[in-house]
Amino acid sequence: MQVSVAELTKTFRSRHEEVRALDRVTLTTPAQRILTLLGPSGCGKTTLLRSIAGLENPDSGEITVGDDVVWSKARGIAFPPERRGLGMVFQSYAIWPHMTVFDNVAYPLRLRKVARHEVTRRVKGVLDMVQLGGLENRPATKLSGGQQQRVALARALVAEPKVILFDEPLSNLDAKLRESTRQELRGFIMSLGLSSVYVTHDRVEALAISDEVAVMHRGAIVERGTPTELYFQSDNPFVVDFVGRANFVQAKVVSHEGDGFALVDTRLGRLKAAAPAGIAPQEEVTMYFRAESVELVRSGSGGETNEFDGRVKASLFTGEAYEVRVDANGEEVLAKLGLADRVTEGDQVRLRVRPEWCRVLRTQS
Amino acid sequence: MNARAWVRGAVPPRTLLVAVLILVVASLTVGPVVMLLLGSFSRGLGALRTFTLDKYIAVYSDPSLPRVLLNTLIFTFGSALFSTVLGTFLAYLSVRTNIPLKRAFSVLPLIPMMFPHVLFAAAWIILLNPTNGILNMWLRGLLGMSWGPLNIYSLGGMIFLEGLLDLPVTFMVISPALYSFDISLEEASRVSGASNARTLWKITLPMLRPAVLAAFMLAVIRSLAAFAVPQMVGIPGRIQVLTTYVYRVISVGWSPDYGRAAALGVIVLVSAISLVLLYRYLTSASERFVTVTGKGFRPTVANLGRLRYVFSGIVLVLFCVLIVIPALTLGYMSFLPYTVMPGSRALSLFSLANWQGVFQDRIAIRSIGNTALLAVGGATIGVVLSVFIAYVLVRIKGRATSLLDSLVFLSYSFPGLIIGVGFMWFLIRTPIYGTLWALLVAYIGTYLPYGVRPLTSAFIQVHHDLEDASRVCGAGFLGTLRRITVPLIAPGVLSAWVLMAAMFVRELSVSAVLARPGSEVLSVQIMRYAYDGLWGKVSALGILMIGLSASLVILASFVKGRLSSVK
Repeated sequence: MQVSVAELTKTFRSRHEEVRALDRVTLTTPAQRILTLLGPSGCGKTTLLRSIAGLENPDSGEITVGDDVVWSKARGIAFPPERRGLGMVFQSYAIWPHMTVFDNVAYPLRLRKVARHEVTRRVKGVLDMVQLGGLENRPATKLSGGQQQRVALARALVAEPKVILFDEPLSNLDAKLRESTRQELRGFIMSLGLSSVYVTHDRVEALAISDEVAVMHRGAIVERGTPTELYFQSDNPFVVDFVGRANFVQAKVVSHEGDGFALVDTRLGRLKAAAPAGIAPQEEVTMYFRAESVELVRSGSGGETNEFDGRVKASLFTGEAYEVRVDANGEEVLAKLGLADRVTEGDQVRLRVRPEWCRVLRTQS
Repeated sequence: MNARAWVRGAVPPRTLLVAVLILVVASLTVGPVVMLLLGSFSRGLGALRTFTLDKYIAVYSDPSLPRVLLNTLIFTFGSALFSTVLGTFLAYLSVRTNIPLKRAFSVLPLIPMMFPHVLFAAAWIILLNPTNGILNMWLRGLLGMSWGPLNIYSLGGMIFLEGLLDLPVTFMVISPALYSFDISLEEASRVSGASNARTLWKITLPMLRPAVLAAFMLAVIRSLAAFAVPQMVGIPGRIQVLTTYVYRVISVGWSPDYGRAAALGVIVLVSAISLVLLYRYLTSASERFVTVTGKGFRPTVANLGRLRYVFSGIVLVLFCVLIVIPALTLGYMSFLPYTVMPGSRALSLFSLANWQGVFQDRIAIRSIGNTALLAVGGATIGVVLSVFIAYVLVRIKGRATSLLDSLVFLSYSFPGLIIGVGFMWFLIRTPIYGTLWALLVAYIGTYLPYGVRPLTSAFIQVHHDLEDASRVCGAGFLGTLRRITVPLIAPGVLSAWVLMAAMFVRELSVSAVLARPGSEVLSVQIMRYAYDGLWGKVSALGILMIGLSASLVILASFVKGRLSSVK
C-alpha cells in the first residue's frame, strides 16, 4: 500500500514570523518498504507525517492513501484521522495512563467493533510478538520506557493498518536500547510486510532502519535514495553534510577522464575523483570525501594516486575509532582511523582516499 | 475507508465552539461591567437612556468619602501585608525546615478556604467584641478591668481577620516558588562562605521577591474586594470601607440608589482591574527570574534545632486561631441564649432554642435549600463551561483564544459586591431578575476562574499526543473526548467542582446585592441574624452551612472513589 503526497504546502503563521513548513512537497512512498523522512528540526518532516495522519491540515495539495484521496484542498476532501486506516507510533508513545496494557492495545480493535474473543486473540498475539506477553493487566504507567515503546508499537500494529507512521519513535530511549530496538523494529516491519513512513532527525538511525531516505530541508525534499546512495553518491552539499561528516575541498578540474572520473587540483595535490559528466577543465568545483574514507598509508611509497602528507593536529579516542584532525598543506582533513591506526599529536602521516570515495560536486557549496 | 468522503463544511466545529464560548464568557464578564458603567451615568434603574453625571457628583462630593478611602487604604494594605508576612513565614517553615508535623502544617493555611468568612468573623466577634466578648470577659476577670480590653470592632481587628482569611492566597503563591527554588543557588552561597541565616537573607529572600510581591498583590486585590469582614466587624465599629459604603447606598433608606452605587463601583472596579493587570505584568516579568527548573528534586531542609519546637508552637497557636477556636465558639454559642463565660452558669443556660428557632424560621430553611441548589447546580454548570473553556485555552492557539483568556481573567479582578451591582443593572430587565437564576448567572460569571484554573492545569497535563493517538486508532473527536480526555481529566473536574461548590456555599458579596425575597441564601441570612445580634442563631445556621460544605466534599470524594474503581 502506498501513500502519495502531491504539491503539499503548509505555512505556520505566528505573530512574529511565517514558517513555510511544507513547500510544495510531492512524494510517493514505496510499498512494503520503510521510507524515512530525515532532516534537522523544523525542516517539516513531522508536519508532513502529521498531515498524512490527518492531524495537521495542509494549506493546499493532495494526499492519497492506497486508492483513496484522503485530503484534497481543491476537491474539498478532508478525511479525519480516524477514517484514514493508518497506524502511528508517537514520539511520546502516547500510552493512555488510565488504561491497562491490554486496553491500550485493544483500543483500535474495539473501535472497529471486533468480536470480544477475537480482540483477546489478536491483542495477545501482537503482545507476544513484541515480547510483552504476560503484562496484559499491568497499568500502562507501570512500564519502563522500552516497554511503553513496545506497547505503542503493538497498538499501531494490532489493527493491521495499510500504512504505519513513526514519529521519532526511538528518541526517548537511551542510546544502547535505541540501537537494539532499531534492529528489532526493522525486523518486525519487514516480517509483516508493512509500508512505513518513519520520521527522525538522527542520521544513523535513518541510515540503519530505512530502505529509502528522503532528506528534507526548509519544507522541501532535497534528495531521496537508498542509505548508501545518499551517503556516498549524493550531489547535494546539504545532504552530504547532514547525513555524515565530510571533508569539503576546493578544487579545479584538470581533465575529465570519461570513465566517470576526473582529475582535479587541490591543496592536497592532484586527486582523482568521481565526477558527473559535463564538467569542463578549468572549472572551479568542490569535492568531498567522508572522514571514514580516509586511510592511513603505512609504507611511504610516495607518488601513488590520491595520497597526501600531513601533520596530526589532534587525535581523539572515541572507543570505536580515532578521530584525527590533520593539517595537510593548510587544508584541515578530518579522518576516522581504525583502532590499529593509532596516531598522536604531532605525527607526520601519509593519508589516502580512494578515487571512488571522492566526489566532485557540480555546484559550489 | 469507504466512498463517503468527508467534505468540509462552511464553519469548522472548533471555530464555532470558540465563538460560542467567547460570546457566553463575554456576556458573563463584560456584560455586567458595561452595564455598571452605563448605570453610573443614568438616573436610576430602568432609565438607561438618560445620560447624567449627577451620580458621580453626588458620590464624590460626599464629605465622608475621604475617610472611607483612607480606611480602605489602611485596611487593604494592612491585611495584605499581614497576610503576606504570615504566608511567607508559614511557607518557609513548611517547605524548608524540619519542624514536626510538617505535612499537617502545610494544609493549615488553606483552611480559610473552607471556613466561610462570615462565620469566621462571627466567631471572633462572639469572642472579642468589647461589650460581652467571651475572651474579653475572661481577660477582664484576669486583669481586674471593667471595659475592653480588646476590641474587634476596629481597623486592627479587621486587618487581623482579613489577613488570616487571605492566608490561602499568599501561601499558595509563595510555597510553590519555595518548592521549585533551585537549591544550587543557596549552595553556591554556602560554599562561598555565607552562613545559613545570611544565605536566607541575601539569596533566598531576594530571589523570592517576585513571588512575595505577587502574593502581596493578590492579597491587596482580595482585601479590596472583601465584604464579609468589613460588613460584620467594620459596620458596628463605624468603620466604612468602599465595599460597605456601596452596600449602604443600596441597602439603607427608602429607595436604594443603584446609580450612585454604580458610580462608586466603577472606581473600585477600575482599581481592581488595574491591580490585576499590574499583577499579570509583574508575574510575567518575574519569569525572567527563572528559578523553576521543573525537575522533581527535594528541597534541602534547614535544621532549626531546639527552635523548631518554638516554631511549631507558634503554628499550633495559629491552627487554634484559624479553626479550633472559631469552630468551638460557634458550637458552644449555638446552645446559648446570650454570651456567657464557659462554666456552670453556661451549663444551666444550655438549650436547643437557637436550633429550634432556626428550623422554625421559614426564610432560614429556604436559604439552606437555595444555597444547596446554587452550589450543586452552579458548580455543575460552571464546571461544564470551564471544561470547554480550559480545553480551548490549552488546545487551540490563536487570537480568539487569547481574547477568551483575557475575558476569563477579567473576572479574576471582580470584587463580588461591585460586580453584583453590575449584574443588577445587567439582569434587571430580564425575567430571571429576582430569581435564583440571577444568582446562578452572577456566581458563575464572578467565580469562573475557580473552575477554569484547575481544569487548565488538568488539560496541560494531558499531552495532545494522547488524543492524537486515539484519533489515528480510529476514534472520532467526540469518541476521543469521551474515552481518553474526560477520564484523564476527571480528577481535575472533580476538584474544580468542589472548589466552585465550596465558593458558592459561602458566597456573600454577590448574594448580598442580588438575593431577593424567595432567593435568600445562607450567608446573607447569617449576616441578617448577626445584624440583629442573634449570635446563637448565627452559630446554629453557620454550623448547618459548614455541614453543607462538608457533605459536598464527601459527595465528591465518594464520586472520586467510584471513578477510580470503575475501569
